[in-house]
Amino acid sequence: MTDRFPSLGRIAIYTLLIAFALVYLMPLYVMVTTSLKDIEEIRQGNLLALPDSPTLYAWIKAWGSACTGSECEGLAPFFFNSIRIVVPAVLISTLIGALNGYVLAKWRFRGSELLFGALLFGCFIPFQVILLPMARLLATLGLANTVTGLVLVHVIYGIAFTTLFFRNFYVSVPTELVKAAQLDGASFLQIFRHIFLPISVPIFTVTVIWQFTQIWNDFLFGVVYSGPGTQPITVALNNLVNTSVGGKEYNVDMAAALIAALPTLVVYVLAGKYFVRGLTAGAVKG
Amino acid sequence: MGSLTIENITKTFGSTEVLKGINIDIADGEFLILVGPSGCGKSTLMNAIAGLEDVTSGALYLAGQDVTHLSPKDRDIAMVFQSYALYPTMNVARNISFGLEMRGMPKAEREAIVQDVAALLQIDHLLDRKPSQLSGGQRQRVAMGRALARSPRVYLFDEPLSNLDAKLRVEMRTEIKKLHKRLGTTIVYVTHDQIEAMTLADRIAVMKDGRVQQLGTPKEIYDDPANQFVAGFMGSPAMNFIPCAVSAEGLLTIAHSGQEIEVKIPQHEALRERGITEVILGLRPEMLTEPKPERTGEWIVSMEMDFDVTEPMGADTIAIGEWNQVEVQARLSPDAGLAAGAGTPVQVDFSKAVLFDPSSGERIRS
Repeated sequence: MTDRFPSLGRIAIYTLLIAFALVYLMPLYVMVTTSLKDIEEIRQGNLLALPDSPTLYAWIKAWGSACTGSECEGLAPFFFNSIRIVVPAVLISTLIGALNGYVLAKWRFRGSELLFGALLFGCFIPFQVILLPMARLLATLGLANTVTGLVLVHVIYGIAFTTLFFRNFYVSVPTELVKAAQLDGASFLQIFRHIFLPISVPIFTVTVIWQFTQIWNDFLFGVVYSGPGTQPITVALNNLVNTSVGGKEYNVDMAAALIAALPTLVVYVLAGKYFVRGLTAGAVKG
Repeated sequence: MGSLTIENITKTFGSTEVLKGINIDIADGEFLILVGPSGCGKSTLMNAIAGLEDVTSGALYLAGQDVTHLSPKDRDIAMVFQSYALYPTMNVARNISFGLEMRGMPKAEREAIVQDVAALLQIDHLLDRKPSQLSGGQRQRVAMGRALARSPRVYLFDEPLSNLDAKLRVEMRTEIKKLHKRLGTTIVYVTHDQIEAMTLADRIAVMKDGRVQQLGTPKEIYDDPANQFVAGFMGSPAMNFIPCAVSAEGLLTIAHSGQEIEVKIPQHEALRERGITEVILGLRPEMLTEPKPERTGEWIVSMEMDFDVTEPMGADTIAIGEWNQVEVQARLSPDAGLAAGAGTPVQVDFSKAVLFDPSSGERIRS
């Protein structure tokens, strides 16, 4: 029998889900509304109220003229620093991971399982452990305080994850595809390009989202290995919030935090369903 | 041009020896079938021929040329896989032409070949589809098309029909046989289906435990098996194996339905001379039938049998009785099958009976 009225259990489930959704959305709501209020309205203390007269003043200031330490150029230059770090780091680490995964899944060699195990270990090494050795390495390479240096750090750290993702995806691809392509005369790289890359869209999406989020949100490497002029947006956000000229401008802080979070939010909204689909993608049916 | 010589090939994985010295000479244009239970090494041998796996020792000659250490693409061999292994993101036309593309053939020539092959396999209307949009039988055809397009010297088929339903399997079987007649190219075909082996092969190599147990024409394998394994593997329903005591005169003792008889078989003199006391009698079900007065001869024995179970199969009925405490299957006509029960008269033709050594399973010949 199909009830027109939902059962009691269903009502309970939805109530609970809505309640939790509200709890999780509350901070975002507060951030957005606060960033649209002027400082007078904030001082009145109605945290949950909608803005009386919404203004983009805080957003414009956070983007272009808020002070992050001694400079007052807003987040804009750091936003582009982050882009300059994230884009190459994501692309390089994802491509290397794809190749690694392809080899570890389909071109097993003596010790390849051990190598994969060792690579996995890389996923569990806390950031703090490698701070000093990495600083020495970057200094030796002459890359300290440079965007290139930060890209290198993120690529190295990311390879463990990207390799894991691609290897596990490619393991489910039938090995007979490789054999068939070998008999068809395709080389190692041709098989990768013509057979494996075209079926990799879901796992590329997952890896790119994962790497983008990780690297964009990174603070520790950003604060340690960057110099003046190469700081990523997370470091700048921290500086902006901690720099007070006169009273605390909560609306500017909120707007700045939203600007810093926006790219990852956009990525999730645009590609979120592919993310879930890619994570749960099974074997490729031929 | 497409002869294939397999010379003493062995293959070990770690400490397990999968192939223990395989020797097969395949003539140009021959249809050779490798058959055996799973784990017998037939797929490994196939991969070794294709070059997808290195051999531990031995040599492989294709048209007289040593190809043992050539890479797969330099061997001029095409393979059809059990799972078809079609490239999932390419359409049918590109699947077929991919090998040509990788070999640098110009586009116009490739397209002409794709058209020819597609027409031959009746898949012209599917060229734009992706493999996921095809049925099992269509995928099978595309997989064959991919192999055909390259017109190699040798085709390898690795259990190509085992993923199809029964009806389609029979259809494709016929089609493969027609194709072989038409192309005349050497084919090595792996299967575990003995009916496929019997119907398709020029010669069959029956494998077990990494060795070729017997290599011969389907008729030789069926009528003159080298050992009990081959005898039991080929034929459906399987050959009856009845352990029998041998009398001093070389007669076999058979106990059935409460009585004991002694029968004389063609090998009786050999048994007597060698003083053999126990054998396993191998008798195909079709040697055990309802009385057929038109068939007479020295080795035809009439008797009565008790049947417990009958299995009508349409064209004939398999009736199951007991000799020397083991199950014996008889192949009766449907009418005789209907009447089968206790004390059914039967006629046994011992002229093609084969004997095996109970301990080794080897053939005892006269």
